Amino acid sequence: MEFREIFRFELVYQARRVRTWIYFAVLFVVAYLLMSGSIEAARGGGPLANAPYRIAAATVISGLLWVLIAPAVAGSAAARDVRTRMDPLVYTTPISKADYLGGRFLAAFVLNGLILLAVPAGILLALLVPGVEPEILGPFRLAAHLSAYVVLALPSAFAVTAVQFSVAALNRRAVVSYVGSVLFVVPLSIGAAVVTDVLHMPTLGTLLDPIGYMTVLGFLSKTWTPAEKNTILVALESSMLANRLLWVGIALGILAVTHIRFRFSHHALSTRSRRALHDDVVDRSAQFAIPDVLRAFGFTTHARQAWAIASTSFWTIAKSASGLLLLAAIAMLVVLIGPIPLHRIGVPQLPTTARVLSLLTAPIAHGPETPWGLIPLLIVFYASELVWRERDAGLSEIADAAPVPEWALILGKFLGLTFVLVVWMALLTIAGVLVQVEMGYSDFEIGLFLKVLFGLQLVDYLLFALLVFVVHAVVNQKHLGYLVALLAYAFIAFASKLGIEHELFVYGSDPGWSYTDMRGFGATLTPWLWFKSYWVAWALLFAVIARLIWVRGREPGLNARAELARQRFTRPTAATAAAAVALILTSGGFIFYNTNGLNAYETASARTERSVEYERRYGQYRSIPQPSLTGTSLRVEIYPGRRTVEIRGTYTLANRGSVAIDKVHLGTSSNVETGAVTFDPPAALVVSDEALGHRIYALEKPLQPGDSLRLGFDVRHEPRGFRTSGGDAFVVANGSYFTNRDWLPAIGYQRDRELRDAGARKKYGLAPRAALPPLDDAEARGRRMDRLAFEAIVGTDEGQTAVAPGALRRTWTELPSALRQAQGGAGSAQGGRRYFHYATDGAILNEYSFFSANYAVHEARWNDVTIKIFQHPDHAANLERMLRGIRASLDYYSEQFGPYPYNHLTVVERGSHGDALNTEASLIDYGEGFSLFRPIDGPRGLDLVFFAMAHEVAHQWWGWQVRPASVQGEVLMAEGLANYLGMQMLEKTYGHEHLRRYLSEVLWASYEAPRTRAAVPLLRADSAFLGYRKGAHALYTTSRYIGEERMNAALRRLVEKHGSGTAPFDSLSRELAQGRPLPTTLDLYRELQAVTPDSLHSLLHDLFEANTFWELETERVTAAQTVAGTWQVALDVRARKVVVDEAGVETEMPMDDWVEIGVFDGNGSDEPLYLQKHRIRSGKQTITVAVSPALREGGQPARAGIDPNNLLIDWQMDDNVRPVRVQQ
Amino acid sequence: MELRIRGISKTYANGVQALKDVTLTIPAGMYGLLGPNGAGKSTLMRILATLKEPDSGSATLGEIDVLTQKDEVRKTLGYLPQEFGVYPKVSAENLLDHFALLKGIAARQSRKEVVEALLRRTNLWDVRKQKLGGYSGGMRQRFGVAVALLGNPKLLIVDEPTAGLDPAERVRFLNLLSELGETSVVLLSTHIVDDVSELCTRMAIIDHGEIRLEAEPLRAVADLRGRIWRRVISKEELPALEREHAVISTKLLAGRTLVRVHSGTAPGSGFEPSEPDLEDVYFSTMPRRGGGGRG
Repeated sequence: MEFREIFRFELVYQARRVRTWIYFAVLFVVAYLLMSGSIEAARGGGPLANAPYRIAAATVISGLLWVLIAPAVAGSAAARDVRTRMDPLVYTTPISKADYLGGRFLAAFVLNGLILLAVPAGILLALLVPGVEPEILGPFRLAAHLSAYVVLALPSAFAVTAVQFSVAALNRRAVVSYVGSVLFVVPLSIGAAVVTDVLHMPTLGTLLDPIGYMTVLGFLSKTWTPAEKNTILVALESSMLANRLLWVGIALGILAVTHIRFRFSHHALSTRSRRALHDDVVDRSAQFAIPDVLRAFGFTTHARQAWAIASTSFWTIAKSASGLLLLAAIAMLVVLIGPIPLHRIGVPQLPTTARVLSLLTAPIAHGPETPWGLIPLLIVFYASELVWRERDAGLSEIADAAPVPEWALILGKFLGLTFVLVVWMALLTIAGVLVQVEMGYSDFEIGLFLKVLFGLQLVDYLLFALLVFVVHAVVNQKHLGYLVALLAYAFIAFASKLGIEHELFVYGSDPGWSYTDMRGFGATLTPWLWFKSYWVAWALLFAVIARLIWVRGREPGLNARAELARQRFTRPTAATAAAAVALILTSGGFIFYNTNGLNAYETASARTERSVEYERRYGQYRSIPQPSLTGTSLRVEIYPGRRTVEIRGTYTLANRGSVAIDKVHLGTSSNVETGAVTFDPPAALVVSDEALGHRIYALEKPLQPGDSLRLGFDVRHEPRGFRTSGGDAFVVANGSYFTNRDWLPAIGYQRDRELRDAGARKKYGLAPRAALPPLDDAEARGRRMDRLAFEAIVGTDEGQTAVAPGALRRTWTELPSALRQAQGGAGSAQGGRRYFHYATDGAILNEYSFFSANYAVHEARWNDVTIKIFQHPDHAANLERMLRGIRASLDYYSEQFGPYPYNHLTVVERGSHGDALNTEASLIDYGEGFSLFRPIDGPRGLDLVFFAMAHEVAHQWWGWQVRPASVQGEVLMAEGLANYLGMQMLEKTYGHEHLRRYLSEVLWASYEAPRTRAAVPLLRADSAFLGYRKGAHALYTTSRYIGEERMNAALRRLVEKHGSGTAPFDSLSRELAQGRPLPTTLDLYRELQAVTPDSLHSLLHDLFEANTFWELETERVTAAQTVAGTWQVALDVRARKVVVDEAGVETEMPMDDWVEIGVFDGNGSDEPLYLQKHRIRSGKQTITVAVSPALREGGQPARAGIDPNNLLIDWQMDDNVRPVRVQQ
Repeated sequence: MELRIRGISKTYANGVQALKDVTLTIPAGMYGLLGPNGAGKSTLMRILATLKEPDSGSATLGEIDVLTQKDEVRKTLGYLPQEFGVYPKVSAENLLDHFALLKGIAARQSRKEVVEALLRRTNLWDVRKQKLGGYSGGMRQRFGVAVALLGNPKLLIVDEPTAGLDPAERVRFLNLLSELGETSVVLLSTHIVDDVSELCTRMAIIDHGEIRLEAEPLRAVADLRGRIWRRVISKEELPALEREHAVISTKLLAGRTLVRVHSGTAPGSGFEPSEPDLEDVYFSTMPRRGGGGRG
């Protein structure tokens, strides 16, 4: 009876509170918006709008929001009696602890369950709103909605409510439920993600995930195919059900502990203070006169008061459980797990300060994308506690009646929080340095740490903290203030998703900054500073508002607050406000002038519309004959100091078609000013569309087949101020990098400007465009690929080296005076100019880059080829490794596939973050991150640098000489072959064991491999995974089965038939001249079939024509020694072969394949005792082999198994080999 | 120094009119504001303590306009609210020092002296290092007085300070206050008549937001001399008696009812004259409520 009454009362009490309905409304709106976003995404492809996966995703995201905003429900149910001092009344009624806690908890859980009903309601409304196209909607499945609510939302609510309720009940403070809630969900979710993604234990990771957020949005989103997302009910997956049971169980345990620990006792702080103090009854007080001391009320005193408030505020936060202890624990965690992201596939990276800082910082606007999203949540909590400190303690009336000005109160509290954040930054600095120490790095750049953490990151946090203060001052209701502050945070984090893109409208935001060793901060600091001064001005204005409406005592009435604000609006306040407004207007105006005046501001939708308009207007010219580019000659002037580039160039265009051409179409870039274009023989400009970047020139005399003409142009790039995306990143003081595609005019209609997103295309009424044309798309296969002679004179500031493809013909320096004369004063006045004349001695494709930086240049030779490596002077550690990889690769590839077509090879470091490598004809470039790899020597270390060079050099054949058609399977032709050859080079140089490690640990495990086997066959490979990983593996398997010789012969044939050859310019574009379409995987497959013995054709089919998986397992191995001293080894193996289609449907195929059986001894040698191919059929079978290890030391069979080299594509690699049991 | 309150009214958002045109003049010395719970005492005191805005009216302390020159008032104000909490994990000494700074005692040495004197004065010196969370109600109240006395306020507002104190504590507390009343305006609100009669040179009685009486306690009592009559009756007789006479209070006495009646002339048989006290003033001022008891 009591239980029911407690439950009923609590339910009705909270259901009548506005707060409860605000939570409901917020969740409803958010769920609606999330689902609307899903519908929009479904228009662009992927799973259907109402796919169970999308419903589950919207449910878990809303669930996370619920965790953050609604802990007050449970907190209030658990601790309201203490706060309202009702506890003595309630605790002395004859109710049992179980009834009291149980009734309250159940009411809180039911309330939360009701609040969470807003989520399915919002989702359903979004789906029911008219206008959702039927083709993106699957059948309505009640089970999808029901299971998402019942299995995903409710158990999470149960577990989280239990935590919120328990911490609040045991601490007797409702607000602790916020901290408990966040500290329960956020670290566990991050932990679950780490276990899944870093430790590669998805089963455990899924189990650990308290609300399913990481599992659904991380793991499943990456590993499920659209078909799976459309059909499988996330909630009913067995791993998810196990997770739900686990957390409900844990919640019950927590509740049981709460029941045991909870006491119906009057609130006392701790056992120590519970001891009554001796109260002296002898009155001696009258003896003491109170001295009349000097009091002062000037600015100095107020400043000292602010300081004192700051200090007590700091210690209040610092000493609390979620204060310094928590921050120190997080910093400790950074030290512990920091080295994990500083390894890529097991290869350590040099933990330079710039690299470590990239791990330690994150803009507030990135919100929950990074673990640092926790810090703004802590700031919300800290700031709220400080604002409400006096009122929570009941001291506010005394404190508010003290002669302390509001500004000193607010400033003091704000400073207190500032100190906390400063300490946090110091802790992070220490953690960062410790990570460096841990990894044996000692070049500490403390100055850079301080600059970034205290100069940049701290400002972000402080701006946000001030916002929270103002929110609380305005709202003047603690829980509501919390909610509004969290919504403000959500707004900042998701502004762009809400369509608010301009940083002038998103509080505290900025275009971002970056720091690399080469570029330093580059040009990113100036816009950052402007934006920050703009927001600091807003913050100042907010602070004035906070001062005006800061509540002292009890004054909730709006009129009275307005009256107070009027009183407080004194002359200095007005002056401060005016100064703030003036600063907002000037800095905002200046920013606007830069982002929208000097530069064209374009929203994402405007950008989309521009490409739609381009296609509508000029799409008609998609297939008209246009001349081919056969030669490019450029004069490039780079002025790094002024971040300006001027390019004058000449294209030689030839008509390689069969009809005369009378008009030349030219695409111009919006990043540059393209000046007048001249033709020789002349042509007239008939259409000049600067907005869309398209020009049409009518030739005075049509260009006849076989004829050619010259086109001259000049292009100027000069950054004007800054954009919303920040400073222009092409040209910087050190580390400039740009490509011809960024800036130079391009011939013909530019297909890559077309809108790709299928949904958007439909919306704008554009014809559907396949993401990747099918294998037999004749149009795509016949598309021209210009090959051209390239020559450029590149000038840059003295002291820098400019790089472009080709051999360096000449370099010279021009003195300033000579320069001024020559250029009429246009050049840079200070310092001389250095010029580099590059020319390629073979045709290259129309894709090339320019670089300028203070490079250390290393020159080496391989046969007749000059290898030049341009590096940042401090980044030269891997030089020898790189050269070793390049030389070995050139040796092997040129021997096997034909000569390297140039006598120059350039390797150059890009001034940029990231470790990606990029290859163009005769030029390889890499991001600064790549130079940080420090492969460990020895058997356990993988030489990633060597491998990368082998991969990139392979592209000189596979990608540049043999240019695959841009159709399905392209990624196998380029990246699959390059990775396969990289593997071959690893095996040749470092031995088979090294490669096996790559194969088992890197190729499948460590990369982000999908956990689904559903995919297209390799011949139609359409993803990076199929190209780089599975494709490379299949090619390697093929070579192991048919032998390297035959494999190379097939590849050589491909180069002979489809390669561009080495002869420089006379036989350009041979494939075109001969009218042959570009090669596809079918050509590769044909060559492979030609060299493969009939017995293995079925293997080729399984590898390339079908998406086949083998499931091979050794169950038991026994060995017995014969009298002769040899061994009889018997292996019980199980085999199965399945073909998995795109939707994930598995079909078992009868297996009758040659599979390796291997026996190894125990001395660690990778030389097998026995390795032979056996015919293996589906099912269980026993294979007996005879082994004679007599000649080897310790030579007795120790391990044996099926497919020990993991050649066949088998998801489960570690059950192939088992230890041998020796029978006596 | 004189606190002048003119025509202050305050109505809450829920329609309750807490103060109706309150006008008072409060000279230096102890001034008692007597009234039942909910009479508007605390509202008036919060307004005077700069923590609330009245709807209309004015208040001045000497030359200072209390309603607009809040900063000036606060410099010379000591305020002890009816209910207040403390930071439980802070020691009395530290918190008092903190408040001393907030009250403008900037010099560290002066602060130390003042804090010591006040802690000794409020008999908290021996427990100054203890956390406030362990203080008893009386100790906490004395700590509040220490805070209120910081900076020798010219205006001291104490709201129901004796509620919850044991008799000995109450005596000590009132002694402490009385010493201050010599130079400052001390406004003491209470619903305990004895507090006023023992301490205050002037007083006002407030009920339902209105000032019913403003007087000197001694003179008010003297004015009633000869008009208070008492009689012991049985419970059943009370209704009839109430119809005939102006009953100001009833009190149980050994199972029978002692009735006090206000009357200019002898009310008749059974009544005997009685020496008036402040309670009689209070109850005769208040409109009589059904069955209202005395004390």
